[in-house]
Amino acid sequence: MVDVATLAVNSVIISALYALVAIGFTLIFGVGGVLNLSHGATITLGAFAAYYASGGIVEAGVGGAVLAAIVVPALFSAAVYKGLIERIQDQPVMVMILTLVVAIAVEQVFLVAEGTQPKSIPSLLDGTVALGGSKFQTNLLVVFALSWVIIAGLFYTINNTETGKAILATSMTTKGAALVGIESDRVNLYTWVVAGGLAGVAGLFLGSFQTANFAMGRGPLMLSFAIVVIGGIGSVKGSLVGAYVIGTAEVVTGAINTRLTGLVPLLLLILVLLVKPEGLFGRELAE
Amino acid sequence: MSADATATRGLVGLLDPRRYGIRHQAGVVGLVLLAVAPYLVPTVWVRNLTIALFFAMFAMSWDVVSGYTGQISFGHAFFFAIGGYSSALLNLELGLPPVVTVPVAVVVTVVAGLLVGVPALRLRGPYFSLVTLVAPTILLNVFILFSDTFGGELGLDSPAPILDFDDLAVTLVANYYLAFALFVGILAVLLAVTRSDAGAVFTAIREDEDAVAASGLNPAKFKVFAFALSAAVGGLAGAVFVHTPVGNPNPSQLLALTVSIEVIIAAILGGMGTIVGAAVAGIFLRLFQLYLGTVEYVVPVFDTAVADVDLLLFSLVTLVLLFALPGGIVRWAVHGGGAALDNIRGRDAATDGGRDPPDRDALAAVRESWREDIAAMQACVAGTERGTDEPAGGDRR
Repeated sequence: MVDVATLAVNSVIISALYALVAIGFTLIFGVGGVLNLSHGATITLGAFAAYYASGGIVEAGVGGAVLAAIVVPALFSAAVYKGLIERIQDQPVMVMILTLVVAIAVEQVFLVAEGTQPKSIPSLLDGTVALGGSKFQTNLLVVFALSWVIIAGLFYTINNTETGKAILATSMTTKGAALVGIESDRVNLYTWVVAGGLAGVAGLFLGSFQTANFAMGRGPLMLSFAIVVIGGIGSVKGSLVGAYVIGTAEVVTGAINTRLTGLVPLLLLILVLLVKPEGLFGRELAE
Repeated sequence: MSADATATRGLVGLLDPRRYGIRHQAGVVGLVLLAVAPYLVPTVWVRNLTIALFFAMFAMSWDVVSGYTGQISFGHAFFFAIGGYSSALLNLELGLPPVVTVPVAVVVTVVAGLLVGVPALRLRGPYFSLVTLVAPTILLNVFILFSDTFGGELGLDSPAPILDFDDLAVTLVANYYLAFALFVGILAVLLAVTRSDAGAVFTAIREDEDAVAASGLNPAKFKVFAFALSAAVGGLAGAVFVHTPVGNPNPSQLLALTVSIEVIIAAILGGMGTIVGAAVAGIFLRLFQLYLGTVEYVVPVFDTAVADVDLLLFSLVTLVLLFALPGGIVRWAVHGGGAALDNIRGRDAATDGGRDPPDRDALAAVRESWREDIAAMQACVAGTERGTDEPAGGDRR
């Protein structure tokens, strides 16, 4: 009936993609204490940037699409931080509301400009590959490989470079980091740029095997909540694990009934919040 | 005027006491204007005013729990939808009249509210908000999962109207007065509750929950009471809404994320923790939004009519307003107006003998408690001392 191998491979691939989204979300929270609800809109922006760069406005090929999907959301994310959040980041309620309004505004821009019709984004690589008796789109495998390259690169950067260590230090204690000369404003900006780029790439990946539409960021945003809460909000390693829990749960329940996909991760979220609010890695260092 | 002010202070407590006289007058004028509005405006605006009144009721239901106790709900649409859908389903499936279905729907909403609220209210600020943010999405997914019963994303058919006449204009006016009566009733109840001793405890919880517990009161009890009251009001408004010509039981009107957010925006713009602010801003915000939808002026460069980008403009305007006036328009007007009047009358600011509450809005109180919570959450993740003996999101009682 349902092919277990296909399910397993799909879970592994989609989970890597969700990890990209959730890591950005958790980085911003861990460092700045900001719940960035416009993170989903950044995904949408990435997908549409790729769409515009690959034939929507200019024809820049797959490479151009990837570049656009990273740069545009990263700049947007930086602009949101610099323009809105920086001045009010010690007001969490306003931050949540304003980032939600930003998300609605971005959705509305694409709704007005492009309508509700989904747009297709070119695959990174065409064709199919046989794996364990079933066929998979090459595109999906590329998405998986690239996601892990990015995640590994991020872990290396955070643990081994000056900037990465500054980010880590600020997420542990802003005051302590300030004492040793780390500018928290700059570190915040870095995390917003990184998170924006990650979300943008995730948008491109999502769009390349589904489609791009104005509301495509909502689902991943909700999933990010579930992922970061399961993993322990603020913990990068936790969100990687959380992404695999949620991704697998989503794919498996989706195979049972497609209407269940949106529901199960959210129920998991509620369950974890009520039983173990600090998450799986709540006591651990983001490493 | 000072004797006057002392006499009424018990009823209208939180804003600047120097302004009671004029503020009361303004309130009465506002209500009278609303009462005669159907005879002053064209029919289409009677319809829009009815929608605005329902939206104001939604905003007030948010304010009583989030504005007063500081437990910020990001998913109040959950209540409106449960109220509206319960009443509509009872009417459509069992054929019960609205007189029966509306009260039952209120009870259902309160029960659902308690099911979500009792466990969720144990969580600290940001976690509570996450749960409430997710609750309507879960409900929407349930509606989609059981589309045969709940109509999925399209919603249900219109249930039987409460007031229906042959003449459309008469029907609209009658329904306007139905909404107006409900609005006044809810306003009166919420004002009475929030200006009572219970209201004082709500405010105290917002300021410092531990202090409330230390003085021998159980904050959890009051939070759950505020939550249930809010659910009842939201459910009532939602239930009546679907039985009028302006409302239908569908996700975009009752359950969408935008509904929850617009309610919060209205209450914050009006001034959190005032009820009146939520009511006033709710009416004006919805009317402004409906007005934007009718503007046919074409923006030159982008070549699109204003009416087509109404939601975008609306979100941009609210973004600017929220950024510029986080304390709320009503509070800003009252304080600004009060100061101006004092200048004119040549009084200095502290004529009330220091009884003026400190100039600190509800949002500031929430901000401070959240800052502590978030610091605890971050500390928890970073594994520092503070997090190890106090798990974030844990039971506060």
